[in-house]
Amino acid sequence: MGCLTVEVALGLKSGALNASPSSGTYQLCVNLNKGHKEEFKDLFKFTQLICARARTGTWGSKSFALVDIATIPLNSCIKEGKKNASKLWRLMESVHVYREGNLTGFDLSEMLVLIFSGGIGKGESCLAHKALTFLFPNSQDLSPYDESIVHDSFHQLIQEQSQRAEAESLELQEWPPRDKGGGSQLHGAPQEYSSATLRILANMPSRTIGRSRGAIISQYYNQTVKLRRKNSRPLLRDMSRSARPSIRQYDLEFDLTPREEEEKRSLLVEELQGLTITQRNHMLQNMPLSLTEKRCLRQDIYIRRGRQRCYQISQTQLYCCSHLKYHCIIAFRSLWYGLLSGLYALKPWRYSLKQISGQFGSSVLSYFLFLKTLVSFNILLLLLLLPFIVAVQVAFPPTSESSNFQSFTGLELFTGGGPFTHTVMYYGYYSNFTLNQPCSSHQSSDHCPANAVHLPYNMPLAYLFTIGFSFFITCITLVYSMSRSFGKSYRVGSTLGVHAITVFCSWDYNVTQKWASRLQHDNIRTQLKELLAEWQLKQYPRSVCGRLRQMTVLFLVWLLSLASVLGCAIAVYSFSEFMHENHEIRTETISEKLQEARLLVLPLIVCIINLVVPYFYNVLAICEQHDSPVLEVYVAICRNLILKMVILGLLCYHWMGRKVKSLEDQCWETFVGQELYRFMVMDFIFTLVDTLFGELVWRLISEKLKRDRKPEFDVARNVLELIYGQTLTWLGVLFSPLLPVIQVLKLLFLFYIKKISLMANCQAPRKPWRASHMTTIFITLLCFPSFLGAAIFLSYAIWQVRPSRNCGPFRTLDTIYEAGKVWIRRLEEASPSVTWFTWIHQNLVENTFFIFLMSIVLLVAIYFNIQVVKGQRKVICLLKEHINNEGEDKIFLINKIHSIYEKKAVHQ
Amino acid sequence: MGQCIRHPMTWEELEEYQALTFLTRNEILCIHDTFCKLCPRGKYYKEATLTMDQISSLPALRQVNPFRDRICRVFSHDDVFSFEDVLGMASVFSAQACPSLKIEYAFRIYADINENGFIDEDDLQCIIQRLLNTTDVGDDLLKNLTKHILGESDLDNDHMLSFAEFEHAMSKSPDFMNSFRIHSWGL
Repeated sequence: MGCLTVEVALGLKSGALNASPSSGTYQLCVNLNKGHKEEFKDLFKFTQLICARARTGTWGSKSFALVDIATIPLNSCIKEGKKNASKLWRLMESVHVYREGNLTGFDLSEMLVLIFSGGIGKGESCLAHKALTFLFPNSQDLSPYDESIVHDSFHQLIQEQSQRAEAESLELQEWPPRDKGGGSQLHGAPQEYSSATLRILANMPSRTIGRSRGAIISQYYNQTVKLRRKNSRPLLRDMSRSARPSIRQYDLEFDLTPREEEEKRSLLVEELQGLTITQRNHMLQNMPLSLTEKRCLRQDIYIRRGRQRCYQISQTQLYCCSHLKYHCIIAFRSLWYGLLSGLYALKPWRYSLKQISGQFGSSVLSYFLFLKTLVSFNILLLLLLLPFIVAVQVAFPPTSESSNFQSFTGLELFTGGGPFTHTVMYYGYYSNFTLNQPCSSHQSSDHCPANAVHLPYNMPLAYLFTIGFSFFITCITLVYSMSRSFGKSYRVGSTLGVHAITVFCSWDYNVTQKWASRLQHDNIRTQLKELLAEWQLKQYPRSVCGRLRQMTVLFLVWLLSLASVLGCAIAVYSFSEFMHENHEIRTETISEKLQEARLLVLPLIVCIINLVVPYFYNVLAICEQHDSPVLEVYVAICRNLILKMVILGLLCYHWMGRKVKSLEDQCWETFVGQELYRFMVMDFIFTLVDTLFGELVWRLISEKLKRDRKPEFDVARNVLELIYGQTLTWLGVLFSPLLPVIQVLKLLFLFYIKKISLMANCQAPRKPWRASHMTTIFITLLCFPSFLGAAIFLSYAIWQVRPSRNCGPFRTLDTIYEAGKVWIRRLEEASPSVTWFTWIHQNLVENTFFIFLMSIVLLVAIYFNIQVVKGQRKVICLLKEHINNEGEDKIFLINKIHSIYEKKAVHQ
Repeated sequence: MGQCIRHPMTWEELEEYQALTFLTRNEILCIHDTFCKLCPRGKYYKEATLTMDQISSLPALRQVNPFRDRICRVFSHDDVFSFEDVLGMASVFSAQACPSLKIEYAFRIYADINENGFIDEDDLQCIIQRLLNTTDVGDDLLKNLTKHILGESDLDNDHMLSFAEFEHAMSKSPDFMNSFRIHSWGL
């Protein structure tokens, strides 16, 4: 018989038996087994072969069948008694190898169950018991011939094993992500269960929803029942604790037979009939079934109700004219879509921004987005300034006092002086007229006839209010966008940076163009990399020594950078003082052109500092070796910010403290406006130079040297340059209302230049990082030091500084603010009916107590909000923990089910 | 076009479709137009079927959508599209469709790449590869990403996403409703 076995084995090997399923082989094995116990050696080989065959997957991977096969040799093995123990073990091992997983108690018990239910007669059970005791030596005190006791011990064993396995799986749950092989190990976890348990698992409600048609129908049946109950019964009675909706919503239904499904369906139809038409339609619309089935359902509903109303108008075909109408509508729709997509394309820089974010990631994108935000801020400013101040002034030019024509040399484009001095560019040009004055041109309103038909347009007032109002609006917009971006990035339960959502939601199904899809692929890739990089950062702790060294380096670097700030500040201050004194001494001795050029020296120095020092900081940052690129950017921003704010503060002091006094006879406001213009132009030129030399030349050099190190885009420095430029604009609005125009032009140029340079010269950041909070930080910086500083500066200029005597709209007043005061006084005199207005002004605006009260209320509100958010976070944490516990409970229950099934199998 | 006038839709059919889908009358007619242009000449539109290739050659899916074969498989019956299948598909992708329906079908599209009824690691890796449009995504990237996704969204720790977990994750995202949408099905 041995030769037969070998034959069969050979047959298997050559694939002749491939077609035969396991049952055929099984029969063969049984025959072999009964006839020739002594051929064990061959049989063993045969089993091994079967195992190998099954492992290669020729027979599919139904483990059950294989266990069948494997147990036959096991049977004979057991019959051989203890002496074949080692072979038994090897056999077990081969089964184990086949299964490619742990040979757990389940496997053993499964096999033993098979042995029991298989061909072993009553007399042979002692052998089985022997095998049992061999496998589990701790259960030895059983009488060998009593089968029932064997059974009992078996149950015990299964329970023990299942508990052990349960403990194992629980252990697995506790550290799933930590260990390296976690994936494969855990992947194998559900496979431990027997097929019966797996079937139950597969049919659990959470896994069948939306799977099969029957499940969907029964789910919707349950929903409609619930809906109807809700309609028919008051809610409060339904509130018993046992009626938890989550459990009652789905009843455990699986393997619906076609008849059952039909029953369910008719029930559903009945339920749907009970609903109102809108509810029913909504239900049908929401059902995830195919349209054909939905139609059948709908027709069933109508037929059962006997309501043929719907079909009485049936079979009327769409008339030709209505067809025409619909064709028109369709054509119009497609036109509308075309228009919409055109509008979408008009959205500024959409394509460019996508391109940038795809190639360079969110960090670089945040710079360009910020630039876009700044453009919109300036346009907002212009929208107010242009019609109310500039246009009016242009329409009513002042009687020209100084029409001496100055030659244009080109230098004035940089200095902003010369012929530009007496234009709408600067404060000095604006006059203090009042349009539509009801009385004569004299200021005394006492003698006026009281016909207030024409509203007077008071230029000083308009100037003051427009600037004030535009600042107010900017402030509101800034705070609003800041709060919104804070909300986006720090909200409770924020979905920013959730991997699952990035993966499942990032593909825009609307994309139909090839280039757009390529962009989207790039975009998603960059996003995913950044997300991962953020996680990987949190994994490298440093040693104590390393940390100490790093702290020292940090301290030194900060010292150096602060020292450099101080040095720059002193340099700027002493130079400005020097220029100021020199200016007073030698004004007459040099030519006019040179005098103009001398004005450019101070901006030049400041810009050089602004250009060089950030590079110095970059060198320092290399010494620091931060592991996180985000932190690196924050530190760089912080240093640059300190430098720029200190220099700007010094300049403000220089203008307000020095120039105001020395230029009292001339128009100091115009001078400050010109100065700010010069700074802006210089800043722009230096940015261009920086882009050219810092990026283009570096790239050319690195290409020459054949080194693959293109420059990276320095987000921190560039953003700080933008903030600096914006601060200059805000500082200068009062003195030069057209400064935002220049800023807008500058930003537009900058966008294209930076983009071209970026595309041509730069490489993507070497360490990808996600700029999740970058926009928030930028907006905050724009709001806090930049806007607030400018507002303080302007408030000082409006409330405290005396305007020039011979130019500008406020030439007759002591301070600019007095324009408002004078107006209120006049208003009070002219019409006593508006006393409430003056009362508001006196009590709320001029009284500090009210502002104090307001800020206290605001602070209290903020405090409460913070507490609420903290509470919500805590609750979220608790709920997450709860869900985790539920998961563990679920696994526990699954194991229970499994053990019950095992018991059942044993009893049978 | 010629076929459409020969077999136009009746009013009540139009009404019925409108009641059962999230589409407007115009959209249904527009899809009808498209369908008639694609289907073989002289066939009644209710009996005609389109192959998966024909559907995936529609501009809405053509060439660029990484999940077009999955979409076709989910919405077709016996690998062919009847007119109603196409309407059902358009309804799910329309802007008016309710989130639960969209999530349901999104799950079907994503879940069954290996037909086991869950989004497991293989599915996730396949989705990522399709999203990035290459098969040579770094092994690290794939492994880490799947690990993180399961870590965040797999609430009961069985190492795959069931429908409930998927629904939970998607319901938090405002982007989902905007991205899972196809505006125009015209040719």
